[in-house]
Amino acid sequence: MPLWFIRGLRRGVVTTRYPATPDGSAAALPTPPAFRPGELTRDVTDRIVAVCPSAALARHGDVLIFDAGNCTACGRCAAAAPDAVTSSGEWELAATARSALRKEIPILGERS
Amino acid sequence: MTTHAHAIHGTVTTRVPAEDLERVTADLAKTPGIRLADMFASDGDTTVLRLVWVRDSGYLLTETEIQNDHYPPLSDIAPAAFVEECEIYEQFGIRPATGKPLNRLMLPPHAGPEFPRLGHRPAEPLDEAHAPHTVGGQAFEFPFGPVRQVGVESLYYGLVTSGEEVVDLYLFAWHKHRGVEWRLRGRTPREATFWVERAEGLSAVAVGWAFAAAAEAALGIAPPAAAARTRAVALELERLYNHAAATAALCQATGLTVGQSAAEIALERLLRVNAAAFGHRYLFGVVSPGGADRAPDASLLRRELPGAYGELRRAAEALLRTNSFVDRLEATGILSAEQARRLGLVGPVARATGLPVDARLTADGPYGEHPVTVVTAEGGDVLARFQVMLGEAAESVRLIGEFLDAGTAADRTALPRGGGNGLGWAESPRGEALAWVALDETGRIIRARLRPGSVRNWRGFDDACLSQNAFTDIPIIEASFWLTAAGLAR
Repeated sequence: MPLWFIRGLRRGVVTTRYPATPDGSAAALPTPPAFRPGELTRDVTDRIVAVCPSAALARHGDVLIFDAGNCTACGRCAAAAPDAVTSSGEWELAATARSALRKEIPILGERS
Repeated sequence: MTTHAHAIHGTVTTRVPAEDLERVTADLAKTPGIRLADMFASDGDTTVLRLVWVRDSGYLLTETEIQNDHYPPLSDIAPAAFVEECEIYEQFGIRPATGKPLNRLMLPPHAGPEFPRLGHRPAEPLDEAHAPHTVGGQAFEFPFGPVRQVGVESLYYGLVTSGEEVVDLYLFAWHKHRGVEWRLRGRTPREATFWVERAEGLSAVAVGWAFAAAAEAALGIAPPAAAARTRAVALELERLYNHAAATAALCQATGLTVGQSAAEIALERLLRVNAAAFGHRYLFGVVSPGGADRAPDASLLRRELPGAYGELRRAAEALLRTNSFVDRLEATGILSAEQARRLGLVGPVARATGLPVDARLTADGPYGEHPVTVVTAEGGDVLARFQVMLGEAAESVRLIGEFLDAGTAADRTALPRGGGNGLGWAESPRGEALAWVALDETGRIIRARLRPGSVRNWRGFDDACLSQNAFTDIPIIEASFWLTAAGLAR
C-alpha cells in the first residue's frame, strides 16, 4: 500500500500542500489594486471611481467601496492615481461568500 | 453605382439610392474577387443600411437610406447577408420587403419594448423561435444546449436528425447577448476599448485593433509605426495561442487525452509568454486608439517564444503521425471553396478551402512592410483546417521576429477632437475582424459596429455539419472552426 495513503489516514491530510511549489509565472499576472488610505481624498477617490470601467469602485461618504468580484485588474485606477493605488500582487481571490470580496477602505487623506 | 465616392484609409465609401440597392448588390455579388464582408444599420434622422465589400485593393462601403422600414431581400442575392438581415430586424425594426421568415438571433424572447436596442423595436416582434424548419419522415429535432460541457460557452444547437446523420442544424446564441455595441454609445474611443476587447475575449487584440483603426480613420490619424508593430506582435501572439487551444480542443474531441495534455502544455506556455511580454495572458490592454499602451519585452519574447512554439510543433507533429487522430479529421466537416465564397467565410475555415482570404493582405502599416505568406489548403475538411493553423503558427513566429527586429514601442498619436466615420479591420485567429465607428463632434461614439470573425464563420458551421457527418463529428468540426459564441452574441 502506498505510504502517502497511510500518511493521509493518520494525519487526516489527503492533498499536497498548495501550492506544491511557488509559481514564478504568477508575478507576470495583472492583479487587483491595493489602496493607501492616507493618500485617498474624496477627489482622488472620485477620480478612480470615474475611470473604473467595471463598476468595481464606489464612494459612500468617506469610504471607498472596492468590489474585487467586479474588478478585472485593468490597472486604470492605479494609472489615474499612482500615489494612492498600487497593484496588490494578490491573484488568488477565491472566497466562500460573495460578500467577502467587497472591501471598505476608509478615505483618510483629507484628515491628514 | 453612384455618387459621392470618397476614399479614407483604404476604404471607398459611396451612397447608393434605395431604388438602386438591389441592382448594385447583385452586380457586386457576381463580380469575381469581391465578397460581402458585413451589413449593418445605424439610426439617426433616417435609418441607414451599410454594406461592406472587400476587394483586393481594399474595402468598399455602400450607404443607403431606408424608408418605410423595408429594403430589398439582399440575402436572396448574397446569401452571406442573411444573419445580418435577422440582426438588423431585431435591433432596428427594418426588414427585407418580401416578408421572408427571419431567425431570432441576438435578442432573447423576453426582449420587450423596454429592452435596450440600437434602433427602434420591430413593428411585429418575432414570435417564432426560429425560421420554420422542415422535419419530415423519420427526422426529429434534438435540442442540445445552451448549457454544455464545462468551459464551453452558452450556445444552443437545434439538431435535426434521423438518428445519426445530421439533416439540419441551427444555432441560438442570444443566451449570451451582452449588448456591447449598445454600451459603447456616448463613450470616447479610449473608454470604449475596455468593452470592445471583451466583445470576443479570445480575439481581444484583433477586435481592439479593428476598432482602434476605425476610430483612427474617423479622426484622420494613424498610429506611430513602432506602436503599429507592437499591435502586430500582439496579434500574432493571439493567433499562436488560439491555434494551440484549437489543437487541444481537436484532441479532446477525438478522445486523445495525451495529445490534449501536450497541446495544453504548449497553450499554457504561450499564455505565460503573453503575460511576461505584455502583462496579460490574453493580451488585453495592449491596443489603444491612436497606438499601443503596452510594449512587449522583446528580449524575453526572443528567449521564450521559440521554446513555447516548439512545444506546440512537437505535439502537432506527433498528432499528424497518429492514425486514430488523422482518420477522424480526414473528410470530416467538408466545405467547398464555393460554399465558403457564397457564405462570405473568413480565416482558416476559408483558407482551408483554397481561398486566400486574409485581412493582413489589405492592411498597410506593419503588414505592408513585412508581408504575410498566406497559408492555404485544398481539402476543405477538418484536417485541412488543422494544417492551415499549423502553417499559420509557424508564419506568426517568423513575423513576430521581423516586427521585433524593426522595433516596437508603447506610443500613441493624440486623438484630435472632432467627428467622422471610419472602418477598420484586422485578421483575428478566426478570420477578418471588422469595426465601423461614427463619432460626434465631441469625439463620442454615436454608433459602433463590431463584427468579429465568428459572426461570419458560424454561418458555415451548419453546412459543414450536414451530410456524411454523424453526431460524434460535430465536436470535431466545432473545434476546427474554433469560434466563440461571445463574438456572435456580442
